[in-house]
Amino acid sequence: MRKIISLAIFALTLILPYSASAILSMELTRGVAGAIPIAVVPFAQSGSAEQDVSQIVTNDLQNSGRFNVFGKSALNQFPSDASGVSADYFRHLGTDNVVVGKVDSLGGGRYQVSFQLLDMFKGAANVGVVLTKKYAVSGGELRDVAHHISDLIYQQITGTPGIFSTKIAYVVVQGTNPSRYLLEVSDQDGYNPRPLLNSGEPIMSPAWSPNRRQIAYVSFENRQASIYVQDVASGARRQVSQYPGINGAPAWSPDGRKLALVLSKSGSPNIYVMDLASRKLTTITNDSYINTEPAWSPDGRALLFTSSRGGNSHPQIYQYSFGSGSITRLSYDGDYNARASYTRDGKYVVMIHRVSGMFYIALLNLDSGTTQVLSSSTADSASPSIAPNGSMVLYDTVYGGHNELAMVSADGRIQLRLPSRNGEAQDPAWSPL
Amino acid sequence: MKIKQWIKVCMATTAILTLAACSSTHKPTGSDVNMANANSGATSSGMGSESGFGDQASNGQLSKRVYYFDFDSNIVHEDDKPAIVANANYLLGHPGAKALLEGHTDPRGSREYNIGLGERRAKAVAEIMIARGVKPTQLRIISYGAEKLAAAGRTEGDYQQDRRSVIVYLQS
Repeated sequence: MRKIISLAIFALTLILPYSASAILSMELTRGVAGAIPIAVVPFAQSGSAEQDVSQIVTNDLQNSGRFNVFGKSALNQFPSDASGVSADYFRHLGTDNVVVGKVDSLGGGRYQVSFQLLDMFKGAANVGVVLTKKYAVSGGELRDVAHHISDLIYQQITGTPGIFSTKIAYVVVQGTNPSRYLLEVSDQDGYNPRPLLNSGEPIMSPAWSPNRRQIAYVSFENRQASIYVQDVASGARRQVSQYPGINGAPAWSPDGRKLALVLSKSGSPNIYVMDLASRKLTTITNDSYINTEPAWSPDGRALLFTSSRGGNSHPQIYQYSFGSGSITRLSYDGDYNARASYTRDGKYVVMIHRVSGMFYIALLNLDSGTTQVLSSSTADSASPSIAPNGSMVLYDTVYGGHNELAMVSADGRIQLRLPSRNGEAQDPAWSPL
Repeated sequence: MKIKQWIKVCMATTAILTLAACSSTHKPTGSDVNMANANSGATSSGMGSESGFGDQASNGQLSKRVYYFDFDSNIVHEDDKPAIVANANYLLGHPGAKALLEGHTDPRGSREYNIGLGERRAKAVAEIMIARGVKPTQLRIISYGAEKLAAAGRTEGDYQQDRRSVIVYLQS
């Protein structure tokens, strides 16, 4: 994988509408030929809007790596609905999929956004209307509606849900000695960062609840590791775990009722499951190794975790089965495997994987047992978090001496970075759909 | 996503913005309070001049409160033991005093796994103190893993600075 020549076919720096608050933006660092061609015609616009909707759609589709987008600069015809489209023009250009639309000012800061997804080879007039939608929104909602349009197009053409309306949570570290630690949530493309917690002590391991309304995380405020659950909309939070020693690595069960977590109250880090309503703990591991980073299987019947039980003090990935109570070792390639999570179909495990002292993001095939390296080296560390549609893995890496977030597609062919503008970005978590 | 759902998301987004702004100005949370603590040197070597310890037998060992570890190791270096013992003796002579034992790792590897490794380093120091008779109730262990690095760089020299255990006396 590492030997693949970086194609870098596309690099873009998004123009930030409010660069002071936006700390992340996307850059595609490695793309791939053979993506699905699609034309996104710049939307006709009456009056000026805060956001360029069709440009956001263009960026979304391009950054997904699944599409080769013909945007503004590749076109010289700019129809805004199906009736104005010349099928011959777009076929000649080499694309059957065409997106057209318009943004009309409704006054009072509101807009009507309409778009159509067209197929040049469908329908009576050889231009088939596949999707047609209309939205009335405020200026502040234009980005969100653009991502929503991208989701619809992505799902229609690939058959997989799009992730353009999802969020990411991550920790920003600012300054040194002392540092400030911020827990932030932004759109998946790094826009609209919003702080959930600002602390003088470390924050770690944010984890989204399955309904996306809450985030569990570890905070070291008051010089004590504690796990909190915070409501994303209201900011209200409650402490759910503050046992002596380690309180770490929270992971929500698929039904959202339980948290798997790590406590060292027994003397060593062990895995427990907490019922959130009663706070009652169930012991999963009980030994003197390091056991950490629990992750639920999609069906809730098993937990992955990292453990040093294999000896050499090197961590490997294990699976605990709730049915039998048995523990099975899953990873054998490499002398250091950690921070595992399942893909949505439960067939693969994404993890940190060390080869010759270097850390990578790797995919472990649970059927064959083979390990595939996805990313180029992530330097010291990484905290992989898989997208809810399984298409991409978000992780943190060191780039130019700074911690920042990056993404790699699940087939390893696409890599993106989200340059940090406001400190070191680390420990990311991708929201559910 | 239907448009109604979508509008809800937007409203929630607005709510986050508003409330986040409110909470930062109105709520003096534990984090804010803790800021003062952090500035006073959670990662540094302790109380400094304010301590006023008068242990004549310690030969300066008492003020040595940062202990370094080898890669992937939680074995305390022999030459750090006199300083740990001096601090143990201080705690023995001051039953009301309490110490926080911090464990740290270098940034390589998984963050949460490093929390486990860091705890082992702090525990290794605690065990020496407890063996000298210090009451476990005078000690509290906290592992920061790789979340409070001593050195910003990524050379082996920086990593050596990162892999440490620190005694911090707590004011009660």
